[in-house]
Amino acid sequence: MSAVIAAKGLTKHYGKRTAVAGIDFSIPAGRIVGLIGPNGSGKTTTLKAALGLIPFEGELSVLGYDPRTQRDQLMQDVCFIADVAILPRWLRVRDAVDFVAGVHPRFDRAKAERYLAGTKLAPGMKVKEMSKGMIVQLHLALVMAIDARLLVLDEPTLGLDILYRKQFYQNLLEDYFDEHKTIVITTHQVEEVEHILTDLMFIRDGRIVLAASMEEIGERFVEVMVPQEKLSAANALQPLDRRTVFGKAVMLFDAGPGGASRQQLAALGETRNPSVADLFVATMKGTYA
Amino acid sequence: MNTIASGHTHASTMKWLLKREFWENKGSMFWAPIVVAALLVLLIGGAIVYGVTMHGAPAYVSINGHTVSHGALSALPVDTRTMVANMAGGMVLAAAAPLFIMLAFSVFFYCLGALYEERRDRSILFWKSLPVSDGQTVLSKAVTAMLVAPVITIVLATLASFVLLFVIGTALSLHGINVFSAVLASPDLLLTPLRLAAVLPVYVVWALPTVGWLMLVSGWAKSKPFLWAVGVPVVVNVVMRSINAGLETMTGQSLLLAHYVSDLVARILGGVVPGIWFTFPGHQPTNLQSTAAHGFDVGSLVTQSYLSLAGLDAWVGALLGVGMLVAAVRLRRWRDEG
Repeated sequence: MSAVIAAKGLTKHYGKRTAVAGIDFSIPAGRIVGLIGPNGSGKTTTLKAALGLIPFEGELSVLGYDPRTQRDQLMQDVCFIADVAILPRWLRVRDAVDFVAGVHPRFDRAKAERYLAGTKLAPGMKVKEMSKGMIVQLHLALVMAIDARLLVLDEPTLGLDILYRKQFYQNLLEDYFDEHKTIVITTHQVEEVEHILTDLMFIRDGRIVLAASMEEIGERFVEVMVPQEKLSAANALQPLDRRTVFGKAVMLFDAGPGGASRQQLAALGETRNPSVADLFVATMKGTYA
Repeated sequence: MNTIASGHTHASTMKWLLKREFWENKGSMFWAPIVVAALLVLLIGGAIVYGVTMHGAPAYVSINGHTVSHGALSALPVDTRTMVANMAGGMVLAAAAPLFIMLAFSVFFYCLGALYEERRDRSILFWKSLPVSDGQTVLSKAVTAMLVAPVITIVLATLASFVLLFVIGTALSLHGINVFSAVLASPDLLLTPLRLAAVLPVYVVWALPTVGWLMLVSGWAKSKPFLWAVGVPVVVNVVMRSINAGLETMTGQSLLLAHYVSDLVARILGGVVPGIWFTFPGHQPTNLQSTAAHGFDVGSLVTQSYLSLAGLDAWVGALLGVGMLVAAVRLRRWRDEG
């Protein structure tokens, strides 16, 4: 049982609608996994199932526990930020720290206070007096001081300005993450998490369409700037996506097994690694059509 | 339960959960009763002090046919003196009546919001990210409703009454009537707060069905928990009554159940009112009224309250209340938010 999360045939229906359609995946320890998908693709549902917040069908094991029946044990080692700004309005900074320190055996009060000292949050301040960014800072201070084995972040920075967003991920990486911890993040802002992820999972219509480590992705996907005269040759290799930049065609290829080889692609033109965002757009083409 | 539970026992988690409920509801459970208690002291005490100062203390008071003149309370026969002390004890309760009425309202609305507000503002997702079980959470809310809030009220009511007694006693003694020695020597008066506390278990038993029902609705309703909580019992009552009325005109028979429905509605919605048990069929106190002429007899209030637990109905209701709380735990466990 080395996997932090292992799913087999994980399925969730909301009435007639299938939110998650029998997915299999496995997340090893010490990774930062981005679960990326468009709205309504099933990423939040998957995370909620893993956190024992909703019933589901299929097999799912988180840190060796079944989230349906062993949630209380599971929550000793798991923490999550499920959405921005969900702290209750009446909560004071001081009380929040006291409460989490009181109920969480793995909470390090000094660490939370150290982090809070670097913000504008005062101990007597209530959540209702805070800006959205400050609420997230408080939440992050509480969560980062918990020595959890798995941290789940579902759209943690939605609606925050760029300063808060950058700071959020920087803190996460510098002050929280280590090889014993695993972080799963869902977000729309792919560009911002791209550099901190070790693994990527694309989810679409309740199915996982791509799951790979960042190294694998770097090896597998190639973007080629194709000059005019080689367009037909390039098209014959079945690019995943094509767009035009400054009059030049930029094509995305899957150079994995069964796809075009690197030598073939290099012959077409200048090659480079695609950004996750471009890969995402290519993979999700036609989602809203 | 777990090896890492060192220093984080269930008891300490419960302590923090109760604190959390108190933080959230400080306004309705603490500040509001304090303001009311202060007003009571000011208004009642003020009126009496004003009366005594402006018009002087009465030269004598007639108690039960005994004429008591200045400073001569000790000249009364013992049983009359006891009665005076009882009256003083009763005053402690009577003066605090508004506080207990307030308690009923604040507990009612507290339960109604207990599992609803956290879903509405989605803060449930934060609470559920911590290692606190749904059972512990619901229990902490039920304990807050049935023990913490009433204890705060009892303490405030006692404080207010004693301040009041002190103010009046001082005003009277300035006019040469010393009531302190008699009143303070009365064990009845000093026992009143303890007796109020002694009624607390009875309150819990009768409040359980209401607390259970309100928290069940609170955990279930997607919106407007008040309408559901009050509407369902009232509609059931009206429907049962009309079915019964129809049956009576058609067949001349009446449904046995229909007779109980109104009573059931009262118990499921009114259980959080302190002393409500005296209004339920079969539990009307017999000698509480007869002693009323001698002031409110707090001692017999305790006895009579415990007598109300002799019937099976109290325990059936309490059991139903516990069942509804268990259902509320299940609801909180699986309710999907957003």
